[in-house]
Amino acid sequence: MGKINLTALRVRKTALNQFASGKINKLPQWVDVVGQIPPSEALIRTPSPQHQLVRQRMKTVAGSSKPQVVFEVQEKPRKSKKPSRLFQPVELKYEEDELRHTFFRDHPWELARPRVLLESTGKDHEHYDWSRITQPGKRLDGESVVQRQLWLLNNVPDMTKSNAYDIARREFYRLRLQEDIQRRVAAEEAEATGAQFGPSYLEVGMELENQQYEKWKAWAKTQAQLFDQRTAALSGAPEVALEQQSQEEAFAEPPEAVTV
Amino acid sequence: MIVRNLFMRQSRQLIALNRQAPVFTRSLSTEVASDTITQTPSVGSAEIAQSPVEQGIQTTSTVPEPRPLKQWDALEKRRHKFNTLGSKVQESYDPENVLRNPPKPADVTLEMLLAAGTHMGHSTSRWNPQNSRYIFGIREGIHIISLDVTAAYLRRAAKVVEEVAARGGIILFAGTRKGQKRSVVRAAELAKGYHIFERWIPGSLTNGQQILGHCKTKVVNALDQELSKFRVDLADRPSIKPDLVVVLNPLENVVLLHECGLNNVPTIGIIDTDADPTRVTYPIPANDDTLRGTNLIAGILGRAGEAGQARRLKMAQEGKTTYEPITARQLRLDPLTGTPPPGSELEKSERD
Repeated sequence: MGKINLTALRVRKTALNQFASGKINKLPQWVDVVGQIPPSEALIRTPSPQHQLVRQRMKTVAGSSKPQVVFEVQEKPRKSKKPSRLFQPVELKYEEDELRHTFFRDHPWELARPRVLLESTGKDHEHYDWSRITQPGKRLDGESVVQRQLWLLNNVPDMTKSNAYDIARREFYRLRLQEDIQRRVAAEEAEATGAQFGPSYLEVGMELENQQYEKWKAWAKTQAQLFDQRTAALSGAPEVALEQQSQEEAFAEPPEAVTV
Repeated sequence: MIVRNLFMRQSRQLIALNRQAPVFTRSLSTEVASDTITQTPSVGSAEIAQSPVEQGIQTTSTVPEPRPLKQWDALEKRRHKFNTLGSKVQESYDPENVLRNPPKPADVTLEMLLAAGTHMGHSTSRWNPQNSRYIFGIREGIHIISLDVTAAYLRRAAKVVEEVAARGGIILFAGTRKGQKRSVVRAAELAKGYHIFERWIPGSLTNGQQILGHCKTKVVNALDQELSKFRVDLADRPSIKPDLVVVLNPLENVVLLHECGLNNVPTIGIIDTDADPTRVTYPIPANDDTLRGTNLIAGILGRAGEAGQARRLKMAQEGKTTYEPITARQLRLDPLTGTPPPGSELEKSERD
């Protein structure tokens, strides 16, 4: 057996050979099936599909009054001319990639918002029309801005990238502000009709901090007492020290509570 | 700003008056107007409280309880009336659906495969270059498997499963990863095949007599009805070998595939970008790490097997077979010597 094991691909041939040589006295049922539907060729390298970055733009041409659709192909300089690289897969690139990069560089917290990754049918894009930024069944997020910007670049005559970015962003900010107001009004309405939301994060934090402070206060008190005791003993007033010691025994705090 | 509460907020003095709250605020708040609580019980109610038996009789006589059936009817009516209200969820994804009702091979679309995530391969550094013809490109550091190639290979594999099932072959579905159990069992159920979802015991094919020798076998006719009179002839038969093995995770089942190679059994397997495509006869280039994807592929192959079995049974009812049926004489011959076993009825009849 060499490096490559072709046993699995040659099952039919093997079965026919075994039958011809008398090793098996009956051909298996699947022999004609594998004959009719042969396994595909394996181990044959084909040139990998090449992907070009194509940009669609609307441009006004000097001669005509109507803007025309222009396709700009970005010829990527090949990294290596080595023949062995011919069969290697190529990076997939789309125009949205840089738009997406720009948007999420400027708005990194947009990535922290929850997002639905599940696809129900894989045909979600069929319901989308990016001449508007809001889409049925899609939550407004960074991707909406990117797709809207791309639509503007593809369909509006003489649109620049920064201009499209500004337009899409402005629409996005407006809707986000509207969402904020809606949320605030909803909370206000709920409170007015008897809802209780409990303490806010800041209040919870303050409460925890107060607890720690109270602990520290108890610890500091005992420390101060001990210190007074020691100074009294050293200054030659043992009756004061003894008195304080008896007080301390009455106080009797477990040492575990003194951790800070 | 909430308009309906404006009046209440701005005029505390009016609220301070102990009076019945307006109906619209009462329906929204859980608080009960204080008038009803502090109401002094009337003389009549005090009398009733002294005799609870009378009270019970009185309430039943004044407000008769509707019968349960009537209550149920009213509930159903209300449900029917308000059923059309609210939003309708269209095209929702139900993970059980692919198990309950898997698609047919003819219904496979690229969108379906895309939604199941079958296009995502492994990190580019882990690739097996033998898979280069199935790979569409590189995205975010992983290889993307070409969906049209996946669909084509899947249809071919489904065709093989269907044809083998139509010839009465034994199909074994194996998926030993966590979570593949149900889809494997479902596919085997559809294709009337067999399944493995735990572990392939090494040697089940090469040393079948020892490992599977105690398992029950039966002889059936073309209509899948058991023929019990041949039970005695099955005593010392070699263990049965599958005619087709479908593996959902070939990487973990190398031993199974090796044994299939030794026993010359054709195999179908889901080949990810880090798997070796020459291990199986019919590779299906797809992501084998997504359960949704493997469930879908297993379901499609199961449906193909179901179609093949239906075809076979239909032909059998017409008295035809696509395969050469085994004769009663062949069944009764000694599997080792190929002659009638000594002392059997077959030998006596041949001697005469």
